[in-house]
Formats: sequence, C-alpha cells, structure tokens
Amino acid sequence: MRVILLTGKGGVGKTSHAIATALGAAAHGHRVFLLSADPAHSLGDALGQRVGARPMSLTEGVVAREVAVLDELDRSWAEIQRWLRELLRDETDEVLAEELLVFPGLEELVALRAIREVEETGDFDVCVVDCAPTGATLRMLRFPDALRIFMENFFDLERRGARLLRPLVERIHATGVIPRDEFFEAIERLYSDVEDVRHILLDGDRTTARLVVNPARVVVEETRRSFAYLSLYGVATDAVVVNRLLPEEAAGGFLARWAERERGELDSIEASFPIPQFRAPLYPHELCGIEDLSRLARDVFGDRDPAAVFTHGRPIRLRKHAGRTRLEVDLPGVSKEEIEVVTRGSDLVVQVRNASRWIALPASVRGLPIRRARLREGVLEVDFG
Amino acid sequence: MRVVLYTGKGGVGKTTTAAATAVHAARSGRSTLVASADSAHSLGDVLERRLGPSPSRIAPGLDALEVDTPTETHRHWGAVRDYLVSLFRYQGIEEVVAEELALLPGAEEITTLLAVEAHARDGGYDFVVVDCAPTDSALRLLTLPEVARGAFRVLLRVQRVLASVVTPLARNLIPVPLPESEVFRDAEQLLFRKLRRLRDFASDRRTSVRLVVTPERMVIDEALRAHTDLALFELSCDAVVMNRLLPEAAAEEEFFRDWARLQVERLAEVERLFAPLPVLTAPLQDDEVTGLDRLAQHADRLFGAVEADAVLCTAPRIRFQAEKGGYRVEVPLPHTASRQLDVAKIDDELVIETGTRRRCLPLPRRIAHLELSHATQRDGSLVVHFAAAEGAT
Repeated sequence: MRVILLTGKGGVGKTSHAIATALGAAAHGHRVFLLSADPAHSLGDALGQRVGARPMSLTEGVVAREVAVLDELDRSWAEIQRWLRELLRDETDEVLAEELLVFPGLEELVALRAIREVEETGDFDVCVVDCAPTGATLRMLRFPDALRIFMENFFDLERRGARLLRPLVERIHATGVIPRDEFFEAIERLYSDVEDVRHILLDGDRTTARLVVNPARVVVEETRRSFAYLSLYGVATDAVVVNRLLPEEAAGGFLARWAERERGELDSIEASFPIPQFRAPLYPHELCGIEDLSRLARDVFGDRDPAAVFTHGRPIRLRKHAGRTRLEVDLPGVSKEEIEVVTRGSDLVVQVRNASRWIALPASVRGLPIRRARLREGVLEVDFG
Repeated sequence: MRVVLYTGKGGVGKTTTAAATAVHAARSGRSTLVASADSAHSLGDVLERRLGPSPSRIAPGLDALEVDTPTETHRHWGAVRDYLVSLFRYQGIEEVVAEELALLPGAEEITTLLAVEAHARDGGYDFVVVDCAPTDSALRLLTLPEVARGAFRVLLRVQRVLASVVTPLARNLIPVPLPESEVFRDAEQLLFRKLRRLRDFASDRRTSVRLVVTPERMVIDEALRAHTDLALFELSCDAVVMNRLLPEAAAEEEFFRDWARLQVERLAEVERLFAPLPVLTAPLQDDEVTGLDRLAQHADRLFGAVEADAVLCTAPRIRFQAEKGGYRVEVPLPHTASRQLDVAKIDDELVIETGTRRRCLPLPRRIAHLELSHATQRDGSLVVHFAAAEGAT
C-alpha cells in the first residue's frame, strides 16, 4: 500500500491538499483511504461534512476517518492504565489516558497505528495521511525509534525481574508494584505496532512525505527545517506543494507588494527543496467540499497520478564519522571549484555557481564550526566540530 | 501584572498582533515585556531587532525576548537527556540521531513557559504580552502543568520501583545503562516546585488569552474548539482578534469580490459565536507590518479607543452550588451545545471530556461523597448534578 504523508506548518492548507491528493488518486482508479492524524482534526471543516472516528465513504473510491486519540488510548491502554492505577493505589489519584499523553510521542504513535490498520484490511491501494503541523509530525517520526529502545530494554528487563520477584514480593504485600502478565502483553502489542509503523514509514519505495508551503518567509524557513529532519530520520520526501500563490489578476492592485515578496520566496523555495515542485493558486473563493477539492487536484497534478512516487532517495544525510558529525549532500554534476560552504545562523548555505541551497542544521550541530568540506563522487561532505 | 497570551492557527498573524499590542501599551506609558514562546521565532523579525533569551530594551518602556528553548530545556532536563543519549547510543543508534531523539517534547513546552514566567516576575512589568505557539501546542502548553502532574508521578514511582527492587537484580541480567536517581530528581524538582507556579500564572485573573483569527472558515472553527478547551481548564479569554480583513481598496478588485462578501459574513458570524467576547479587527496591510512605527499604526487600527492592556472580558468560573437534595456544578463550556461531552465521577474528581481534551476536576469534600445523578448542557454551560447515593442517609 502506498502511503503519502502531508505535512507543513499550521494553516498552510495541508488538509485541503490531503483531501485533493486522495480525490485525485481515486480519479486515477486507486482505492484510497484518507486518514486525519492531526489532533486538531479539520477534514470535516474542509469538506463541509462531518467525518468521524469510524471509516466513512466520502465518494467513489475514497474512505475517510479521523483518529480519536483519547478513545484509542482507552482501548489499547486499558491494561497498562490498570497497572499504573495499582501502582498508585496508596496515592488516591487516578491515572488517566490524558495524563499518559504527555509521554513523548504516544499521541503520535496512536495516530500512526491507524495506518497499519488500514493496510491490514487489504482493501486499499493508497493511504493519504493528513499529519499534525510540522513539529508534531517530526516527533511522530522519531517516536518509533525511541519506544523500540525502551521496549527492548526496560520492559523486557522488568518482566524478567517481575517473574523472578513476584513470589518474594507478594509476601511483603507489595504486589501492586509488580505488573501482571496482561500488562506485558499490552506492552508487547504496542511494541509490535511500533515495529510495523516503523517499517511502513522508512520504506521509501512506498512511503513518502509531501511538504505543503505558502510563499511566505516564516513558512519557508520552518519547512526547510522539516525537510532536513525528515531526511535525517530516514523518511523520503518526494514533492513540495506551494499553495495559495497570488494569481496574476490579483497581483497588480492593492496586493502588488505581497506578490513581489512571493516571487522572492519562490526563489528561496527553489533553493531549499531539490525535489519536484507543484503549485496551487489562491482561488477567487474559499475551497470547500468535494467538487472544489477535486478541481484543486486537477490544477495541481494535471494528468499525473498524485499517488506516484515523484522522486527517490534522501538528498541530505547526517552521520557520525571519526567522532565528528558529517553532513552529506547530494550534488551531482558540479565541480569543487564551483562550490562554497558557509553557516549562517542555524542554516548551512551551499553556494553552487550563482545558486544557493539552504539546509537547516539539526540542533546537535547548530553553532559548531565547519571543520572541513569536500566533494567526493557527487556528494558534498561537511564535517562539524 | 497584567498578562496577555496570543494564540491561533498558524500563519494568522499572532506575532504581529502581539508585537503591535506591546508597542501600543508601551507608548501609553505601561512598562511592557513582549516574549516569544513559539520555538519558530519571528518576533525579532517583526520588531526589526535582534532579540536574545533575556529581556532587551528596544524602546522606552518596552523590553522583548525570544526564549532559547534548547538552552532552557538543557538547564532543566540535562541529566535526563544525557541518560537518554547514553541509552540510545548503547543501542547502536547513530549519535546524531540519539541526540535528537533525546529532546523531550513536553519538556520543551514546559521550560519555555517557565522562562517567560520567570522573566515576567523578575522584571516588575505592568504588562506582559506572550506570542504563543499555534493553537494546539499552545493549549498543550497551557494545560500541561495540570496534565503533567499525574504523568510525572507515575514516572517517579516507576523509577523508585525499578531502583529499589528490580534494578539490583537486573543489572546482572542485562548490561544496559540504567538511570541514576539524579536523573529523575531533576524531573521531580522541576515538577513539584514549578508546575504549581505555572498553573497559577496561566489561570490568574489578570491573565487572559486572546484568539487571533482570519476570515477563513477553518481558522474560525479551530478557534471555537480552542475557546472550549481553554474554558475547560479555566483559562480566561478576553477577546478575539480578526486579522487580515481586506481593505476597501482590495475589496473593489474583481478577483477579491467573493472574498470581500464572504468576510462580511464571517465577521458577523464571529461576533455572534464568540459573544460576549469583543472582536477587535485589523485590516490586511499593503505590505508586511514590521518595525515599531508600522506596528504602532497597526495597533491604532486594532484597538481604537480601547486600552491594549485592559481586561476586555471576564469569563465565568466554575461554580459549585447547593440545590435541593444535593449540589450542582456549573462548568462554562462555550460552543458545546451540539457537541457530545463525556462526564463521569471517578473517586473524588469530576472527569469531563470534550473529545480533544480531558480534565479531571477535583471536587470539594462536601460534593465528593455524593453520586453523580445527571448532567445537562445549556447556554454554553455544562451543569452536573450530584445527589446522595440511594439508600445512604
């Protein structure tokens, strides 16, 4: 099953484009599932009709659903909550799902697990996911790794300890603190869910992210950071969609200066995202409902199938090399005399001839000096530290 | 000290509105601090000044800062983070990824708000304006002190169990780095000393949230949900700012005819739905609003004769009242007439769920021993009735 994750800064039109992508893919004959994993669900708002936690048919070939995180947690975490409640028995308070939500990434995991459920039905060719705004999506992507590690260590370890200790501890009236087997079974189910989700997310042949941006500086800057992080976490990004470009007939009057700023931002988008670009204009009216959003899909993708993988590969990679952090950037077809590399604030600026590429640096190398940069077989290697 | 927090869907103009509010108040003689609590900072760009993590004077009576979230988080969570990095690295995760993985998201939100609160308190300001993150993270940030309490209690307890019972044995079973107790002491200190203060800061009567919207339906819908959830946690909203209304010059253009007509409807709708909150309006300008003078002009249009730091509306609080046969609890929850709310009494708490948020409201002792008999929704309020259990005397 093809998985397409739509993400971007809040308010850029991510949801409209998720729906348009789903409708466009269905028009190409795919059986599509449209999933909202954004806790601030807005599928219903953009469609002008209610979409609930249960799958519902939207139109020919498209089924939609919004993940209700609290309900899902209640469903899958009942055993875990029971244990935690016992653990806190002497402290009178209850532990509720909402409180568990503050554990990093749990909310995102629950949302992502829904992708796997869609796949299990075997009824769909494409799953389009309307993700939370960028920051939360990135958290979602790093969560499987973090949880896997906790699972493999703490819980397995604690389980061994628990088996060993229970006979001993029961005698000293502390049974509440040693989890029962149901608890571990719940944890194990969660763990296998995480593994499945990880496999789906990191499989670049079928799963890709798409970034929706507006031609505005703040939006482009934040999205540049997301692009680097998606790369870092191993998720392929196969397209950027520039939304709400002022059309010519709106660019000459009162908004002329805004239109001029937009043209500048388009250059900056070009320099920041070396991947296929799609564009959508600002329309003379608000887009709402299936008809409007089908039209948006046609305007954006033309005759192309929105479910296609538009590009493969991770053009930016970070790795540790001899104790230092190395950033690798694919730069095919240039010679080293043509390249200049500098850091500017929290970005790395790579100048190639007259064009420049802006790459947001992850927190762990931000502020470190560049120690060395070299070009090898079409790959620019930049060492920090 | 008066505090105003601006939030709204991304890209609606929160930062501009926050900066304009601060400039306006400072020029009317209030000693003012404007702080950015959104990790994607743009306050400095709007003010056309380079800002640091401590207040810097940018005009008479006006200080500004952008919270340095990574540094603040490190200060409070350094030990926890170092432990996580060691654990991840032990697992063969590349160091770069391990370092990123160890950034705790909830922790960033708490420490950001803590930094704002500390500067606000120490600076002796009349007025503090906070440019918050977009709605969902802002709500998370504002409701976190309450929500985090339970989670950290669990964490600490688990750690104690691990440390006292399981760990000594387990150390021999699997050679994996295990947390030292100071790792969790960091969390404990942060939690018990400071969460309380944050909660007080956010729910003080002199603290209000202002919701920024544009005349777009999805933006307004999200603001309505935020208004409900803020009320659920007794965080008071005192105004809605309707931003980017097309001025006449643009509304006359052919292309914008439909948009102009629509926004008249939307403005009326917002005024009706959010009443009694006042709706302040600001036009779309012909270029980006940056720099102190343009911000001051923008604020003049926004506030007119209204004081920028006034409490523009006071939200009703949760009320506990005696009634025949028991007690009633009235929880103001705007915009919920057609939404399903889940209500339950669990032990000594009233649990209310709006679908997106859940609050556990501790009940006063005189109500806690009663049974929940029924609940009704009316006029933007949830009324929960409590009566003595049948058979009880």
